[in-house]
Amino acid sequence: MRVRMLRAMALAAAALLFVPGAQAAKAKDVLSVATAYDARSLDPVATNDVASSNVMCEIYENLVQLNDKGEVVPMLAESFKQLDATTYEFKLRKGIKFHNGEEMKASDVKFSLVRAAKAPAVSHIAGDIDVDSFKTPDAYTVSFKLKNPATGFLGGLVLSAGNIVSEKAVTAAGESYAMNPVGTGPFKFVSWAKGNMIELERFEGYHGAKPKFRKMVLKVIPEPTNRMIELESGGVDIAYELSANDLKRALSDPDLQVLRVIDNSTAYLGFNTQKKPFDDVRVRQAISYALNTKTIVETAWRGIGKLAAGPIAPNVNYSDPSLKPHEYNVAKAKALLAEAGFPSGFKTTIWTNEKKERVDMATIMQSQLKEVGIEVEIKVMEWGAYLTGMNAGEHNMYIVGWTCQSPDPDLAVYAPFHSSKKGAGGNYAFFSNPKVDELIMKARTMKDGPERKKAYFDLQKLIIAEAPWVFLMNGEQVVGARKGVRGFKPSVFGFHYKANTYFE
Amino acid sequence: MIKYVFRRVLLLIPVILGVTFIVFTMLALTPGDPARLVLGESATDEAVAGLRSQMGLDRPFLTRYADYLGDLVLRGDIGKSYVTKRPVAKEILSCLPSTLKLALSSMLVAMAIGIPIGIVSAVKQYSLFDSATMVFALVGISMPVFWFGLLLILLFAVRLRWLPASGYSSLRQMILPAIALGAQSVSVLARMTRSSMLEVVRQDYIATIRAKGQRELVVILDHGLRNALIPIITVLGLQFGGLLGGAVLTESIFSIPGVGRLLVDSIKMRDYPVVQGGVLFIAIAFSLVNLAVDLLYAYVDPRIKSQYK
Repeated sequence: MRVRMLRAMALAAAALLFVPGAQAAKAKDVLSVATAYDARSLDPVATNDVASSNVMCEIYENLVQLNDKGEVVPMLAESFKQLDATTYEFKLRKGIKFHNGEEMKASDVKFSLVRAAKAPAVSHIAGDIDVDSFKTPDAYTVSFKLKNPATGFLGGLVLSAGNIVSEKAVTAAGESYAMNPVGTGPFKFVSWAKGNMIELERFEGYHGAKPKFRKMVLKVIPEPTNRMIELESGGVDIAYELSANDLKRALSDPDLQVLRVIDNSTAYLGFNTQKKPFDDVRVRQAISYALNTKTIVETAWRGIGKLAAGPIAPNVNYSDPSLKPHEYNVAKAKALLAEAGFPSGFKTTIWTNEKKERVDMATIMQSQLKEVGIEVEIKVMEWGAYLTGMNAGEHNMYIVGWTCQSPDPDLAVYAPFHSSKKGAGGNYAFFSNPKVDELIMKARTMKDGPERKKAYFDLQKLIIAEAPWVFLMNGEQVVGARKGVRGFKPSVFGFHYKANTYFE
Repeated sequence: MIKYVFRRVLLLIPVILGVTFIVFTMLALTPGDPARLVLGESATDEAVAGLRSQMGLDRPFLTRYADYLGDLVLRGDIGKSYVTKRPVAKEILSCLPSTLKLALSSMLVAMAIGIPIGIVSAVKQYSLFDSATMVFALVGISMPVFWFGLLLILLFAVRLRWLPASGYSSLRQMILPAIALGAQSVSVLARMTRSSMLEVVRQDYIATIRAKGQRELVVILDHGLRNALIPIITVLGLQFGGLLGGAVLTESIFSIPGVGRLLVDSIKMRDYPVVQGGVLFIAIAFSLVNLAVDLLYAYVDPRIKSQYK
């Protein structure tokens, strides 16, 4: 009996030694992230897409960054000054090393920004820089001019277009630079298996607080269901863009957390205002009244996103918080249609690309518009053909989204509403209104402050009254993470900084 | 024999000319602007126009085609991707290992299951096994691969947690995709083996061998199957050739970066050089697999060998 007990105790002790918990004490060292798309390029001036920025934001840094309040503050710069309406001066921090061991100097900054200014992919952000105006009085001071005054310029510099690259590395790598990026960021590039994954490693010479994990793996998993499954099974720590289908499951899973933020995109139903009958503002307003956007958005997106109220998304500066989503009122819609000469409605088309939620929204609109006599045919198109058709102005009504890629509202309104940007420039509504043009041009050069705020508030009200768009919804970044993941905060730009993440 | 192979390889030239011309024409006729898609909606008109001329898209169609052929023939250069700026050959080669893995593993699944089922069904014609497996085969052919793939993921990755839901590097990761994609071929192969075997086992020489007292297993496998192999090899070749072009749905469901996904993504982005290179690769691969199948015929059936001159 005693022998048996002793044996049992010995066994138990042995078992204790081998429990997996003994190993769990070792800190987790790798952060795995599931993303929906692969990067296109890791050269910051070659592209401005979200998936590429999502990788580049770990490898590179910028002169300036946004703080929690959305204000532009120094990053690689020690300080910066705006000398006059178009001249900016940056004092650089000393002793900052690139991943190749070189120190960052004013020449690298000049090289990076000149490169960005000349690059077509980022010309809407950096194209205003006057490439002949650079001055580098010493190794840590850079100044340059813009061709035109633009208050939103500094805000744009926080994007990947403003990444500072090592002149030596870019020159040495030549055409293959996009696959051999060198920055000053917390992570350096290790490998890229196209369409599959990108690996990054902690940069031990990083000047700031070093990340708490050694390696970052970004896996490309296009199917949302698979991203969710990988997250559930612990294959990844973070999964981007959870679908509405998976959101409920993620919320009820005790091992997971859902991190979300309303982003800077606005999905809308636009009118080709050059074409009859949409050249009549009453018709546009009538359709606005005839659509119950709350039902449309909630049915198609099932709890993701926020009902949009105006052209500037809520997290962009000077978005007017007092704006309400438009009123649903069939009687008013009918009255306006009759006034415009269409008492029994008309026939038209809605264009959309094959994104499921957009097709769903179009289908609901079709049935709601029938109530006021408007017969809609839905035309689902492939993205490339869709853009070409819209650029040529062949569309009637169309569903698409616009993302303000900067904290400054200029990018939210200039391209989509200014008359000089009709068609391919972003103004797919072919909208033209002299008052709107004037306000956009005035506000983009004004100094930040109450006057600029008023200009943008007036502009938003004016655009809503002119109704070139029916505002549908502001998108939402829905990121799933394992329970122990801490320090991760999704960003309104759709690409997220992961270096501050740690495990608990 | 060598002369025959040489002649067949020479025949690739008109195939390449035809394929490149057709793809070139189709891309030129398809709406969509590569420069606009690369730069995004926010890019300015001037930037897009600049990139378009940098890509050479502002030149006339025939000039572009002649240049493409010139580069292809003189330098073996099939251009650079508009999107990643990497050489197209590199893009395709980087996708090739995963596509080959997927194609080979699913063919293996198909052969390991399909051929035995076909043989047994033929030998035991109209038995319960025969009817059951043929119904099973019908279901297999009719079931879309994305549906079957998702069911497999749900069962083995989500419920049972036995196998990973995505990836392609390890053997464990390849099991589900190979089964999902192989299931289609299992059915085709089983039916083909069955009908081919049925024809053979009714021949007089089989009866003769049986009459001589040969063991049934030897009769079926050595004398029956060998003579039934030609159509089976043909089907295998066609399936394998098709799979080399990528299996878009399977690749998407299991997150495998293969040739199929590369091609579909490139079509969406109007990445003309990659689409052209990809289709060219598929055409050549298909032709070569066909050639390999023809050569296999000779190995299987000496009567055919004498015809290759």
